[in-house]
Amino acid sequence: MKISLAWLQEFIDLPTTDVDELSYAFDMLGHTVEGLERLDAGWSDVYVGEVLEVAAHPDADKVRVCQVDSGTGPTQIICGAWNFETGATVAVARPGAILPGDFEIGQRTIRGVESNGMICSEKELGLGEDHAGILVLDGAPQIGTAFADLVELPDVVFDLEITTNRPDALSILGIARDLGAWFDAATHIPLLELSTVPGDTPISVEIADPSGCRRFTAREIRGVTVGQSPLGVRHRLHKIGVRSVSNVVDVTNYVMFELGHPLHAFDADTIVGDHLVVRRATEGETLETLDHVTRQLSTDDLIIYDAAGPTSMSGTMGGARSEVSGDTTRVIMEAASWDPPTIMHMWRRHDLRSEAATRFERGVDPALADVANQRASAMVQQIAGGEVLEGAVDEVAVGFGPWTVELEMVEVTRLLGEGFDAAGVKGILERLGMEVTGSDPLNVTVPTFRPDLTRPADLVEEVARIHGYDKFDATLPTGSAGGLSPQQSRQRLLNSTLNGAGLSQAINLPFVSVEDLQGLGLATDGSDLLTVRNPLREEESKLRPTILPGLLNDLRYNQSHGNVSVALFEYGKVFSSDPDPDDPRLPLQYDRLAWAVVGDVGLRGLDGTELKADGPLSLAIWRHIAGALGIEATLTPGSHPAFHPGRTAAIEVGGMVIGHAGELAPTAARSFEIEGRVAVAELDLAPLLEPVPPPLFEVPSVYPHVDFDLSFLVSDDVGARALLEVTTQAAEGLVEEARVFDQFRGDGVGEGSKALAIRYRLRASDRTLEQKEIGAVRAAMIEAASEVGARLRGA
Amino acid sequence: MSNLPPDMDPIATLDEAIGSAPAEIAGAASLDELEAVETSLLGKDSAIGSVRRSMGGLDDELKPKVGAKLNEASERISELLADRRAELAALEEERRLGEEMIDVTLETVQFPAGALHLVQQTIDEIVDIFVGLGYQVVAGPEADLAYYSFDALNTPPTHPARWEQDTMYLDWGDPADEINLRPHTSTVQVRWMETHDPPVYVVVPGRCYRRDTIDATHLPVFYQIEGLAVDENIQFSDLKGTLLHFAHEFFGPQSEVRLRPHFFPFTEPSAELDVSCFNCDGGEPGCRVCGGAGWLELLGCGMVDPFVLEAAGYDPAKVSGFAFGLGPERVAMARHGIDSLRHFIENDVRFLKQFR
Repeated sequence: MKISLAWLQEFIDLPTTDVDELSYAFDMLGHTVEGLERLDAGWSDVYVGEVLEVAAHPDADKVRVCQVDSGTGPTQIICGAWNFETGATVAVARPGAILPGDFEIGQRTIRGVESNGMICSEKELGLGEDHAGILVLDGAPQIGTAFADLVELPDVVFDLEITTNRPDALSILGIARDLGAWFDAATHIPLLELSTVPGDTPISVEIADPSGCRRFTAREIRGVTVGQSPLGVRHRLHKIGVRSVSNVVDVTNYVMFELGHPLHAFDADTIVGDHLVVRRATEGETLETLDHVTRQLSTDDLIIYDAAGPTSMSGTMGGARSEVSGDTTRVIMEAASWDPPTIMHMWRRHDLRSEAATRFERGVDPALADVANQRASAMVQQIAGGEVLEGAVDEVAVGFGPWTVELEMVEVTRLLGEGFDAAGVKGILERLGMEVTGSDPLNVTVPTFRPDLTRPADLVEEVARIHGYDKFDATLPTGSAGGLSPQQSRQRLLNSTLNGAGLSQAINLPFVSVEDLQGLGLATDGSDLLTVRNPLREEESKLRPTILPGLLNDLRYNQSHGNVSVALFEYGKVFSSDPDPDDPRLPLQYDRLAWAVVGDVGLRGLDGTELKADGPLSLAIWRHIAGALGIEATLTPGSHPAFHPGRTAAIEVGGMVIGHAGELAPTAARSFEIEGRVAVAELDLAPLLEPVPPPLFEVPSVYPHVDFDLSFLVSDDVGARALLEVTTQAAEGLVEEARVFDQFRGDGVGEGSKALAIRYRLRASDRTLEQKEIGAVRAAMIEAASEVGARLRGA
Repeated sequence: MSNLPPDMDPIATLDEAIGSAPAEIAGAASLDELEAVETSLLGKDSAIGSVRRSMGGLDDELKPKVGAKLNEASERISELLADRRAELAALEEERRLGEEMIDVTLETVQFPAGALHLVQQTIDEIVDIFVGLGYQVVAGPEADLAYYSFDALNTPPTHPARWEQDTMYLDWGDPADEINLRPHTSTVQVRWMETHDPPVYVVVPGRCYRRDTIDATHLPVFYQIEGLAVDENIQFSDLKGTLLHFAHEFFGPQSEVRLRPHFFPFTEPSAELDVSCFNCDGGEPGCRVCGGAGWLELLGCGMVDPFVLEAAGYDPAKVSGFAFGLGPERVAMARHGIDSLRHFIENDVRFLKQFR
């Protein structure tokens, strides 16, 4: 909300006008300064002048030749505006004057006639938007007065963020009250005397729905002349960003910004009958609002009716039918107290946010309704003329009044520390407008303009706020024993291990499209997915049951941006529409880990060739992390619709298949428009993070080792792991290390077979191995290989 | 093979060999040449070799003298050879090392290296600061009951945050147990306290969801780190001190913090925390980080509202606490000068690998 410092000063005796000190006070009061505008006159050499004579231009019919006295005697000025005649008081820019925008006024000759200066419009002076004609001054200011003396400049406009719990602070009065407590300065509402004439406001009001309206005040002003507001009013509204409409409408805005209570002015002559009813709308009814939109009303809308039907929407926007116009002479000034949730729902339903709705949805002080009504009526009388009828309508459907909160001092000291005593707390609360009796507990009477203060904790916050958050010490709690859990530490290790293998972490939005799942080969029509009821975009409606589509889309995105080698992993929640077995009120959601790698890996194979991502690489990544995390797993040929049928392993940990690793199926790669083979995997995360027992030390043997190679021919359907296992077992504990160092298919190796060359290292822990024993073990290993159908190559 | 000529004096021959050896040895310019010199000085055909061979035919009286001289000569020459050999080996290595020069600017070997996502790095770094203060790191479900998102956090049924315009709801389960995608990790406050007795010192990093359109400053899914401390005698100054400690650790020891009153339904008193700008150190006009304000709005915080403590089954008369929630993406953006949140979800390796 914008606050003009000059206007604010009418409500409080500020001890300082220093902008930094005031900004600090606003920030510390919780009304954060979001913007600051220093307004200066922005012009020089502009004076009040009187138009002495207006004559036609001999050679131009769109301008007139005026004789104007701005304190230096009659001066000739040519003017293109027609909204004034002889005798008008105007703002005259003398030759040499500078107007906003560095516009210098000189002496000119227009079609042969000399012009010595300019008669200014409101817009040219930066005082408002009005550019239709020149600014005609009211109030008969002295001719020759510097025009700057007539306007409220310089001024400072603060743009404050008002939190939703403080509807009272959406007003100059509320801000003045807070500043008054901060500076311990006096605040007041500037006097505006209401004089009335005998007679009753000739309408009656019925609040048929007390849940929506607790109070309704109305007051008639008759004999009003609707026209432009005086410059001072227009200028103040302009400074805080409010457009001037007409004197009557301007008053409703002006008083709302002063006091925080919205008002509405009806043209009394458009009200049909003499009875207004406040009730919820009936389905099918319509109402044309001031913005000339015809609204379909719902049974939740709270509407003011006259004999002809809906006439105004409560608290959000008036109706077009009863709008104040230039012909209006009889005004009904309304100030009513509306139910916050009702207004909140209504403006949202109709997309009708207004200054009034913003205040009502947060809660406007019902005690303020007639104060605002009287002030607005008095101001209408002052600037639009007319008479205010003495008898006003004031229907109260639900009573209101201050309430009491009991505040024990221990509540204050427990949260804020020992530095507070009852007298200090009492002083702060009283400065905020509360009445306080007693010492401990304090009996605090809260005024109706602070609906946010209903509990002791609310008052404690007020004490802290006015004391000043900056004045509190910085201390640390005595603390507790914390730390990362074993699982969290292992997650860090897993992340580092993947980074060390060249994979970067991706984070994708956890949504998925049915097309992408089908592209992966998964049979789904989307109905089995967890679905957002109110997605903003269709793309954000289905929660992912797998992480892979996000990663695969990342690969495509990277390839399309020229990043040919991409290695990504991601972990996070996947979702299912099944209930969570541990809490059936919730859908199942659990963490998975996935990776996807394409292109050059940046490593060479044993034969020196550059490795490219493929199924074996994915298995290497798995072994790398399993090794780092000490995970015992069994890999068997796996099958998964998204994976290559011959290049995929099912990974089993603790007797459960936790996922798959291998190569992306070519159909899936095509569907995601990825070039090249893709190493992929997706696994349950929790089993990987389960702590493993610390390994026990084995003393390295002090005896010499023996290395030899064996090359076997074996069927393609036998895994290397099986061959290694049987041969190692046959050596009865003597194999220290065994590693396949070559795999070959082709010449000399039968169809459906492969040659595997294995290097074994044998070593005993208690003796040097003799040649004879080595020969026997080697023979036993070769013999054992036949258990998996392998025979020595060349044998 | 020749024997020593009968007319030669073996002693004189050996003295001559000792005398001429230094020059011959020094004349060898390589290890190969030195080997040839060694053969010529100590080999069978050398003077020494001849004398040694002729030893058998010498007079018994002469034998010990010649034998001693022979030992002296071969020792002396062997020493000289060894010295020269060491000299030549050093020279040879020097030459070889000179030839082995590499271009130190050429990256011939590269280890593959991936990076953690910047958000993850930021989360880990922040979490570690609180772990150092004795906090535990805990988690909760992303799809959660509206009770934990709102009701238990003192958010009234009419509060706009609950509306479908702002929060994503799931089409799932019993309509009475309304399930939403949590709009903050504050959901874990009551979840954790329900099942754990005080003292509670926890941080909760996790994903949150709001109905926002993706742009430079908004994502529909983002991270939040919630912090919660509940214990006997926790005061407002503890909140301030904890966050000051965090700012010092994260932004540097010169950092200052400022609490400004604010409003959240689940804290009372509530505050926003500003940290002094780490880039310009306060108020430099047009600073890319703070825009000249000197302060960065960092997080929302406050003392846990008694309503929340009661919802968790705690007695607000016995324990008190504070809570805070900060967005790691925003912190990372400010710290690294990142212009748009879109980078955080595109997963372009050119973004990811900048932050190793």
